[in-house]
Amino acid sequence: MSEQAKPNGFDIYEVFSQRTPTSSFVHQFSLLAPNHEVAMSMARENFLRRDSVVNIWVVKRDDIYVCPPEEREFLERLDNKAYRETKGYGDLQSKWRAHRERYEAEHSNNQ
Amino acid sequence: MIAQTHDEKLAAFLEKIDNGGKIEADDWMPDDYRTQLIKLISMHGMSEIMGALPEKEWVPKAPTLRRKLAIMAKVQDEMGHGQLLLRVAEDLMAPLGKTREDMLNDLFTGRLKFHNVFHMEAPTWADAGVIGWLVDGAAIITQTMSLDTSYAPYSRALHRICAEEKFHAQHGESIVLALAEGTEQQRRMLQDAVTRWWPALLMFFGPPEGGKISSNQQMNMRYKIRSQTNEELRQVFFDKYVPRIFHLGLTLPDPTIRYDEAAGQWIYQQPDWDEFKQIVSGHGPRSVQRLDLRKLSYQQAQWVRDALLNNTQQAI
Amino acid sequence: MNTDQKALQELLFQLADDDFILAYRGSEWLGLAPHIEEDVAFSSMSQDTMGHAVMFYEMLEELGAGTADDLAQLRKPQDFRNAVLVERPNGTGHYMEQPNYDWAYAVARTYLYELFKWVRLEALMSSSYQPLVQISRKMMTELRYHLMHWQTWTKHLAGGGQESRDRLQAAIAQVCQDIEGLFSFGPHADAIVAAGLIADASTLKARWLEKASDALAKNGLALPDAFPAPSHDGRAGEHTEQLADVLNTLSEVYRLDPAAAW
Ligand SMILES: [Fe+2]
Ligand SMILES: [Fe+2]
Repeated sequence: MSEQAKPNGFDIYEVFSQRTPTSSFVHQFSLLAPNHEVAMSMARENFLRRDSVVNIWVVKRDDIYVCPPEEREFLERLDNKAYRETKGYGDLQSKWRAHRERYEAEHSNNQ
Repeated sequence: MIAQTHDEKLAAFLEKIDNGGKIEADDWMPDDYRTQLIKLISMHGMSEIMGALPEKEWVPKAPTLRRKLAIMAKVQDEMGHGQLLLRVAEDLMAPLGKTREDMLNDLFTGRLKFHNVFHMEAPTWADAGVIGWLVDGAAIITQTMSLDTSYAPYSRALHRICAEEKFHAQHGESIVLALAEGTEQQRRMLQDAVTRWWPALLMFFGPPEGGKISSNQQMNMRYKIRSQTNEELRQVFFDKYVPRIFHLGLTLPDPTIRYDEAAGQWIYQQPDWDEFKQIVSGHGPRSVQRLDLRKLSYQQAQWVRDALLNNTQQAI
Repeated sequence: MNTDQKALQELLFQLADDDFILAYRGSEWLGLAPHIEEDVAFSSMSQDTMGHAVMFYEMLEELGAGTADDLAQLRKPQDFRNAVLVERPNGTGHYMEQPNYDWAYAVARTYLYELFKWVRLEALMSSSYQPLVQISRKMMTELRYHLMHWQTWTKHLAGGGQESRDRLQAAIAQVCQDIEGLFSFGPHADAIVAAGLIADASTLKARWLEKASDALAKNGLALPDAFPAPSHDGRAGEHTEQLADVLNTLSEVYRLDPAAAW
């Protein structure tokens, strides 16, 4: 975006934060700042006053390539992908149980 | 991409929101949807920022160290709510070439209004308590109603805001309960504040519809920006707070107020709606003084904003 | 009270009062800062600073000096031990009426004070009084953010064009008029140092000079060559009239009935 398009000059920065070293970054909100450094100096207090965080990202919104609105419908998927998920394998538990019970039954008969 | 006519886009938009779908800033939206949102959210945002001023008067004066810290945090949150809402409004007005600066100028020239309650005086510490308890209480009711708004960025801001409002309400209740359980002088201070704030609290929800719902409200409901009328919200407020006010042994400056079992609603004395119009158009007891404060601080900081911009240009 | 106890209390009052009064000055800025996002950030730091004051007042309370609230709100101006720098107003006017506040002064004062506070807390890490050692470590974690924040502002005002740079340089000069007052431990200085509570004032000053000169030099700024003797020695209870105004405001409600529960 060019300077002329922003009479106020400040840019929009998106703020992300990470709660623990093993958690993913989560988007919080956006703020106006003249540059990354100032954005960072205000980020935590604006959006994370009551949260503990171990790291923060500030990203200039102009640098984010957003999926265009008219293409977001392509993000939808048919609900026919059970083979990718654990719910597609719901029969395993009962099969294992049957095998164990048969095994145990055979072994107790042998005694 | 299949080209769509305006009517087709509008039909798709309405179908989406009717099915509980949410609109994002970069989605297509009807012009009047955008206009209504800008009006509503910029007014809400500026009200948060102007609302910081009456309470701020009591920040240094709060009676104990703990209260001083708590009210500082509370007023800070209100500025933070203003920040969130202005950001949402700014994204909506960006396609129109408008910015935060324009909103502030609209506030200074009176084109952009702020809530009636923030034009009022807060002459005692009990006022700070009553603001936290009842003004924030009223705000929670309207904001909770809007959580499910069709405009997703507004909803996201409101979710953050409502989480903090729970703290605000408890902060207010705590101050009020200490006064109610306190000395004669403290109780009197509290009663005076409740009496003083009552008409403004009724006005907060806006005029009743008198059978016909105003066109703005109607449009906002059609667009699923809001889901309840002014009067419905006011009744929710009565349900929650009138009994509590009485439980503390306090009185209201309305001898007629009562719950009508048959009608299933509260009967009460209307505030002076002409006065309401006067107040929100900048003729309230503290309108001018508070706007002057905001204006002065804005003008004085011009050099700071210029300096920040100078830096950006040099850095690149 | 023996000399050591007196020395400890004097030092605690200096620590508590410095933070308390500066946090008050910060709270006057609430809603008036130059940028909304900054308003929110600045308020967090004022809260941190007041929070630190409360911790020091509570230490005094444990030592039997009175309740924290009484100590903060009922003492007379001459009983306050803060340096005069922190009581100086933010500008002319009142926080509710015509506040002609100077952001450059806010940045310069807060930054130079917090650098001093860092040096002082560092020195307290080897205090003979254990509770001070523990509390200092905690406070330094919050202070890190403050220093980063004010360093960013200093950099941006210094690099923000001629007007901004001039204003900042003038504000630094103004702050330095009062800076010497920070490096006084007052009439009980000898006892404070002898008890091993903290390193002596000249050591603190040397460390601060190094830190502050570095911080400013990074931005092409400099401290003046010499600092005038303080107009009032706050550590000895000498204060400007402004402190009386501050205390009247701070205690306006509490004084209505200090025995009541608020
Ligand atoms: Fe709010
Ligand atoms: Fe609130």
